[in-house]
Amino acid sequence: MTSLRIRRGGRAPVPEATQGLVLHSDWQRPSVRWGLGGAQLLLLVLLVVGGLGPILWLAKSAITPTQDTLIKPIAVFPHGVDLSNLSNAWTQVDVGRYLLNTIEIAAGSWLSQIIVSTTGAYALSVLRPKWGSLIMGALLTTLFVPSVVLLVPLYIEVVHPPLIGGSYVNSYWAIWLPAGASAFNVVLMKRFFDNLPREIFEAARIDGAGPLRLFISVVLPMSKPILGVVSIFAVLASWKDFLWPLLVLTDASKQPLSVRLPTIQGQTDLGVFLAAMLIACLVPIVGFLVFQRSFLRGSGLGGALKG
Amino acid sequence: MQLHNRARRSIRMGSAVLAASLVAAATGVASTAAASTPTVSISVASLIPGSTKAAVAEFNAQVKEFEKSNPGIKVSSVQYQWTGPTFAAKLAAGTLPTVFTVPFTDGRSLGENGQLANLTTYAKALPYWNKFNPAVIAEGIDAKHQVIAIPTAAYAQALSYNRQLFQQAGLNPNDPPKTWAQLESDAKQISQKTGMAGYAEMGASDNTAGWILTTLDYALGGRMEQGIGTKARATLANPQAVQALNMLHNMRWNDNSMGSDFNYGWSTINQAFAAGQVGMFISGSDVYTNMVQSYNINPKIYGLAPIPLANNKNAGVLGGGTLAAVSPRASAAQIAAAMKWINFYYMEPLINKTQAIRNARTLVASKQPVGVPALPIFNEAQYKLANSWIKKYINVPLKQMQPFLNGVFKQRLIPEPEASTQYVYGTLDPVVQSVFTDQAANPASLLRAANPTAQSGIQAGK
Amino acid sequence: MAPELEQTDSTFTAATISATRPARARRTPLTWLRAGGISRLLFLAPLILVFGAFSWYPIVRLVLMSFQQTNLVQPATWVGLQNFSEVIHDPLFPIAVRNTLEFAGLALVFGYPIPLIAAVLISEVRRRRGLYSALVYLPVVIPPVVAVLLWKFFYDAAPTGVFNTILGWVGIAPQQWIQSQGQAMPSLVLESTWANAGGTVIIYLAALTGVNPELYEAASVDGAGLWKKLWHVTLPQMRTVMLVTMILQIIGTAQVFLEPYLFTQGGPANSTLTVMLLIYNYAFGNSLGASYGEAAALSLMLVAFLAAFSLIYLRATRAWSSE
Repeated sequence: MTSLRIRRGGRAPVPEATQGLVLHSDWQRPSVRWGLGGAQLLLLVLLVVGGLGPILWLAKSAITPTQDTLIKPIAVFPHGVDLSNLSNAWTQVDVGRYLLNTIEIAAGSWLSQIIVSTTGAYALSVLRPKWGSLIMGALLTTLFVPSVVLLVPLYIEVVHPPLIGGSYVNSYWAIWLPAGASAFNVVLMKRFFDNLPREIFEAARIDGAGPLRLFISVVLPMSKPILGVVSIFAVLASWKDFLWPLLVLTDASKQPLSVRLPTIQGQTDLGVFLAAMLIACLVPIVGFLVFQRSFLRGSGLGGALKG
Repeated sequence: MQLHNRARRSIRMGSAVLAASLVAAATGVASTAAASTPTVSISVASLIPGSTKAAVAEFNAQVKEFEKSNPGIKVSSVQYQWTGPTFAAKLAAGTLPTVFTVPFTDGRSLGENGQLANLTTYAKALPYWNKFNPAVIAEGIDAKHQVIAIPTAAYAQALSYNRQLFQQAGLNPNDPPKTWAQLESDAKQISQKTGMAGYAEMGASDNTAGWILTTLDYALGGRMEQGIGTKARATLANPQAVQALNMLHNMRWNDNSMGSDFNYGWSTINQAFAAGQVGMFISGSDVYTNMVQSYNINPKIYGLAPIPLANNKNAGVLGGGTLAAVSPRASAAQIAAAMKWINFYYMEPLINKTQAIRNARTLVASKQPVGVPALPIFNEAQYKLANSWIKKYINVPLKQMQPFLNGVFKQRLIPEPEASTQYVYGTLDPVVQSVFTDQAANPASLLRAANPTAQSGIQAGK
Repeated sequence: MAPELEQTDSTFTAATISATRPARARRTPLTWLRAGGISRLLFLAPLILVFGAFSWYPIVRLVLMSFQQTNLVQPATWVGLQNFSEVIHDPLFPIAVRNTLEFAGLALVFGYPIPLIAAVLISEVRRRRGLYSALVYLPVVIPPVVAVLLWKFFYDAAPTGVFNTILGWVGIAPQQWIQSQGQAMPSLVLESTWANAGGTVIIYLAALTGVNPELYEAASVDGAGLWKKLWHVTLPQMRTVMLVTMILQIIGTAQVFLEPYLFTQGGPANSTLTVMLLIYNYAFGNSLGASYGEAAALSLMLVAFLAAFSLIYLRATRAWSSE
């Protein structure tokens, strides 16, 4: 297993003289200083132009008059700034409502994933029923089945649910509940629980804590890091989801932004449309900048787990 | 093909006597509704997503008015646009509103699959039931002689052109092209003089590309199918289709007069035209409504002409239309209420002089188009007479549409291919796209290669 | 995917064996109750219900549906292998497979080496490493729909399009981008790489941080230079994670849907029609009704292919990945 730690600028430990790929002494050599340093500078430029550029362009164009964006897409405010795009996105396109829908969908999906993964992992890792290995095996099998290929049976199930009847099209439950079925989350959570010190559980048991007390007062408080990681990915995945909400939310007033944007593209003034897209980006970008550490830690963890 | 909910049609009923009797009958329908006691809720297709606030407000006013005269019925509206690739999912999921629209091409097959409500008894009780143009009403009657949809509008394909670009290119805006050769040379002149696309065409993978190719094929005298039903024979590789594609190929690659976007769909080509980026394009004669409702087109630039027809006895203009249909999940009470809505929203303005005038007035007040040319679902004499009722409310540049109005009734109207229409269009999409994106494309062999696919789709009743 | 199976499975078995509860001679419902059977069941209930309803049941349903014909209106009928044969004989099927392979291949060419190089460079940055990481990861948090629609505008084929304007500065003629049969697929891959590479870079960065410094020290003592250390220490240490990111990327790109759906709807002339898009079209694309059976059959074929591919891949690389 690889370490989950990511070194960050500033607080990164200074490696000892001989421990590391590029040593302090290497940096003294002009070939390294110019070659590696140059490559790093080039990378920074590419990241700013390529990675950040499109987003900056979107931000610029969202407040540029449409005609300027159409005729001179690269020019920076040739005829000044036009903030009306943003307000039009709010009033004409009703971005606020779709933003709220997106948040509501993400919140429910998050809750569903947290409940299923924590309780399930707790049962499998701490309570250990006899037939746990059977369930674990069934869980791991689902990792082999990409969720998108279940689109058709899931869709039919939502349209004509067996046993309960009715139709859950246009209901957020049709998104929240299937979101909980993420084997990846359960595995991640279970591995974390597996590594918690057993002695604490025993001590709690001796003190008379039942399974519920143990779960709420001991296991969950000790699991904040992993809860953070799962939460971030749950929210991000829901924010990014497109195909499933497209299929099950056909009522325009219930759709999240990701489904709504392509639908209105053909009917909306370009400037207003770009403003709506910018608004759709802002929440995840701000979230990322605030929780940057958890995001990056979680991403690295994903790879580490898979390794 | 791509049909939206038309706010209003300018197809009007015939003689004053007939109209008067219909007024009486229509009010009769309304008063029985008022008498019905329990509340029934229906949802109805409203405007297409992204319509302007004014258009939406106008629609909501109609709903209010309907509810006022039908106290037992609650109407909720759902934004709706029929497109080939999205309709099936809504149908399967049962999320269509109680009243929705489908194109002529799909009505009968949907009815035969049991996917539309049976409207027979309600439809035959309509006072104007016998007045429909027989060819038009046939689109709403399935093989079991059940009425499964009511025609609400008919269109002929037409050439929309930008008068301003014509002028800038040194062409006479009152003299749109009358032959395909002239269309080609006009397109070339426009793109050379103005830098805009002289002639643009839909090329998206949502059956629109195939729809327009079929239009060209008809105009040159070809047919994409022979026969009807699952026994029909696909004839995609007919000489006129090859000729049409060669013409497009020439405009695209030699004249370079088709601009740079070859992925337009029904909405986006309207958007580009309204933005002044397109000299000419082919779509239904009523697209002006959408250009106003969604894109605030400048009326001065708009011109409408009939499609040039080749000198061939089979040449004709492709026509189609919209059907209003009711969800198969609707209860009897809902079907009855739905029929009242269809009568009120789609039909009454066509048959009732008072209603037509009041309607025109509200449309004008909310700056919605009145008087956009369409084809009569009854007949031409009535169409012309009825237009006189609302003459003073017409706010579309009718004079600029005169070339179309003068020409269209002399043209032979040919319905869309009967068997598996949308599937056949879908098969043609990549053929058109190949011609637009591959200079070495060979139209004849592309069509020959697509033919078996179309044939198997027809046989499978897709 | 599969490495988890192995590792977690083994940890689980170990955990089960080391369970502290004493084995009981006889189990009756009463002993089960006393041993906390109910609470175990209650804690497992959400997992079992949710996975049962939204994962296990649909998997079974998928298999059944692939042998059935249904339009959700009339009752389903068994049709044997007909769905599979119809898919295989569909002229679009080989096109979709070829396009999907092309997407996956191009995504490897663009998307595989770049994150590795970027990660190595970033891991040796001496100042502002956080800035690099943030910039690298930023596109990953953009909603994919926004990214695609934004790039669709960049790919405008008119000379005034964003990319064409930039090409114009260096004297290159306007390109057709997604409106050309040849350029459409690379254009899709380019956007997809932009949107996804950041996640891979972060995984590599975590792996690079985990390389034991003593290995570098030992190499330095042996007189190894920078390149030698990169070749003999860094890359071998990264091998496992590199193999895993590769298969994850292949599995991910085999399911590509969003890009062709939003950029091109599979056009022009089917040049970007992928397997997932074909599945979608079978199920939802025909306005008169769905071919759910064909959609299920093709889905099943995709799952079978990916599972077989993963197993072969793991077997083939096992020797190489475990040091």
